Amino acid sequence: MDLPTIIQTVANSIVAGSVYAVIAVGLAMAFGVMKMANFAHGEFFMVGAYTVYVFYALMGWPFPAAVLMAIPVVALLGVATERFIFRPTRENVLAGFMATAGLAFIMQVLVGQIWGVGLMRSVPTPYMGAMDLAGARVGWQRVIVIPSAAVMLLALWYFLRHMKAGKALRACAQDPETARLQGININRMTMLAMAISGALAGLAGALMAPIHPVTPYMGHSVILTAFIVVVMGGMDSIAGAIIAAVLLGFIHTFVTTLSDAVTAQMVGVACMAVVLIVRPQGLLGRVKA
Amino acid sequence: MVKKTGISRRDFFTKSSMTIAAAAAAAGGAAFEVPSLIGPAAAQTNEPTGDPIHIGFLAALSGPDAGWGLPGLTGNQLFIDRVNAEGGLLVGNERRPLKMFAFDDEATGSKALQGAKQLVLENDVKFISAIGGNPADATHPYLTKMKVIYASLISTDIKPDRPYLIAGGDVTPRIDMLRPFYHRFVNRDLHRWAVISQDDTIGLTSQAWEVGSALSDGWDVVYDEHYAIETTDFAPVVTAMLATNPDVVSLNLSYPTFVVQIIEQLYLQGYEGLISANYLDTESILQKVPAEFLEGATDSFPLFDDPWWGSPSWQHNFIEDWMARYGPGAPEDVHREITGIDWDHVITLKVWAEGVTLAGTIDPDQVLETMRAQEAIPSILGPATMRGKDMWGIDNMISPPIPINEVRNGTKRVQAQIRFEQWFESRKDEIIKVVEEKGQMHYQR
Repeated sequence: MDLPTIIQTVANSIVAGSVYAVIAVGLAMAFGVMKMANFAHGEFFMVGAYTVYVFYALMGWPFPAAVLMAIPVVALLGVATERFIFRPTRENVLAGFMATAGLAFIMQVLVGQIWGVGLMRSVPTPYMGAMDLAGARVGWQRVIVIPSAAVMLLALWYFLRHMKAGKALRACAQDPETARLQGININRMTMLAMAISGALAGLAGALMAPIHPVTPYMGHSVILTAFIVVVMGGMDSIAGAIIAAVLLGFIHTFVTTLSDAVTAQMVGVACMAVVLIVRPQGLLGRVKA
Repeated sequence: MVKKTGISRRDFFTKSSMTIAAAAAAAGGAAFEVPSLIGPAAAQTNEPTGDPIHIGFLAALSGPDAGWGLPGLTGNQLFIDRVNAEGGLLVGNERRPLKMFAFDDEATGSKALQGAKQLVLENDVKFISAIGGNPADATHPYLTKMKVIYASLISTDIKPDRPYLIAGGDVTPRIDMLRPFYHRFVNRDLHRWAVISQDDTIGLTSQAWEVGSALSDGWDVVYDEHYAIETTDFAPVVTAMLATNPDVVSLNLSYPTFVVQIIEQLYLQGYEGLISANYLDTESILQKVPAEFLEGATDSFPLFDDPWWGSPSWQHNFIEDWMARYGPGAPEDVHREITGIDWDHVITLKVWAEGVTLAGTIDPDQVLETMRAQEAIPSILGPATMRGKDMWGIDNMISPPIPINEVRNGTKRVQAQIRFEQWFESRKDEIIKVVEEKGQMHYQR
């Protein structure tokens, strides 16, 4: 691998890591609060992309407006999922898993019925062209994912650290029973967690719509990566998810450049296995007392 | 972008060993013409005089692969309705209407076998339009036993033990073999050929034939790799390919979704050479890259509104009929643009229908024997032959002239139609040797 290829691959890795982080953080957060994995998280991502397809590609809205629209749309979807799936199945983790897996299929079929199941929906690239980074060229559409991810994660950090609702969310994640005794409404907090999780997935899907093939099945390809990131980082650790996302971005991109995507996926899963053997709680996960 | 050497289309045909028909077509700018037994000129009556012939459509109509199946229904239905408007298909002394039955195989073998049985036993179909691949593998023992003709889009499905499986509608891999030849003539100062496709069966096989052809045409094949079909981020794939500094990047039989993503990455990573692919969905691609970047790119799925075909022509009539029936605001609006897949399945259906009329029977053995005996059978891409023994072990490949399109100002335009057989005959030993080395001959797979 020569120097220009290395530089290009590093740039590709940073972009990939940012995308993984945006997708995975929402999943980690929902798990942290509810202790239940949302298998429909990939489909939340898909709905975010379709929101941009409808408002930007079909209706001609400005791209930023369509992206902003995706946030409440998928946040509401998250709220509905919490209210009608996770809350009734709170005492039965397996039922929650299965119900969200079913939700994923329902959403795929529903979107396919409305917008068709043909070849991919085409979303024009709003920011054509590429930025030159020390000899590496990265498309503007991908570049904007990096600051978007950074702003989003900083906002989330501020919310969780400095706002009352955020502190309540953290309390629920750490010890739901004690939080309840302190007067925190658990139902409201799980709903808030799913709203934020949905908003993040929607934002990720919206930003990726011009890059990723938009089909009813696009969630498949992201959910596995998202789970690897979350498990590597520590199931309920947002900071762990971010670190794992960046690591996996580099691993996937370098291995794909040197070999292929299947090998990259295998190496990614192998890394996850190694992390789990060495640190069963994940990179930044906590050991339960 | 690489500058061309200025060899014109006329020069191309003059300097190459193309057929007289192709040269005439190039000079006149018109498509091949062979009198069709199906169509207004051939119609003697518009009243059916015989029982309907049932046609099956066995493909993915739902799920991720539906994009390859659903559009085929429109083209086949247009063809069937046109035949029926003329009284039906001429079989011996009778005019027999066509009727289509569809089954959604979801691109899975078990569903396809279930569908094949239903279509044959319940609907009594005599011909099945299909996509092929895994469903072809699953259904061929049954359909061979029942002697039902199965028309796959994918030539790689053809094997000696599948006597009733015909293919060639999408002219793969012949188009992938002829694009290096075309570029060799049009761009003589280019030498470095890079080729890539997904790692599924048809990608592996089709690319092996393209590499053999490129080598036989004197290209230095600097990159010959496959990406995993699970790939979603093509940035690293393109980075690795561009590290070999190619003059031409060929995407071989990459699926349209992948083609868009790879071309976007080629643009973003500063590629300045030529692009060549089996199929370019220019509408989708031009939403990702500027038209100048795609200038000169080649593929082999023509647009039917191309002036090349002349007007009126079968191709122009098809697109007008399609728009009137399925286009925006039409009675059966499908809410999408017309694609190459809308007419792809019709190639084989029309050739089979011509074979039935020529044979005067729907008996599959006699129809296939008649088709193989013809010097030229009318197809929507020009006069086709039934060949393929050298490549697949049996003459079940429908082979019309191969169109080569170039993108000009954002629009694909046919630049040439090339007869495959003569070209292949002159270099087949060299090409087959490469395909064998890659383990992709029909007796190796």
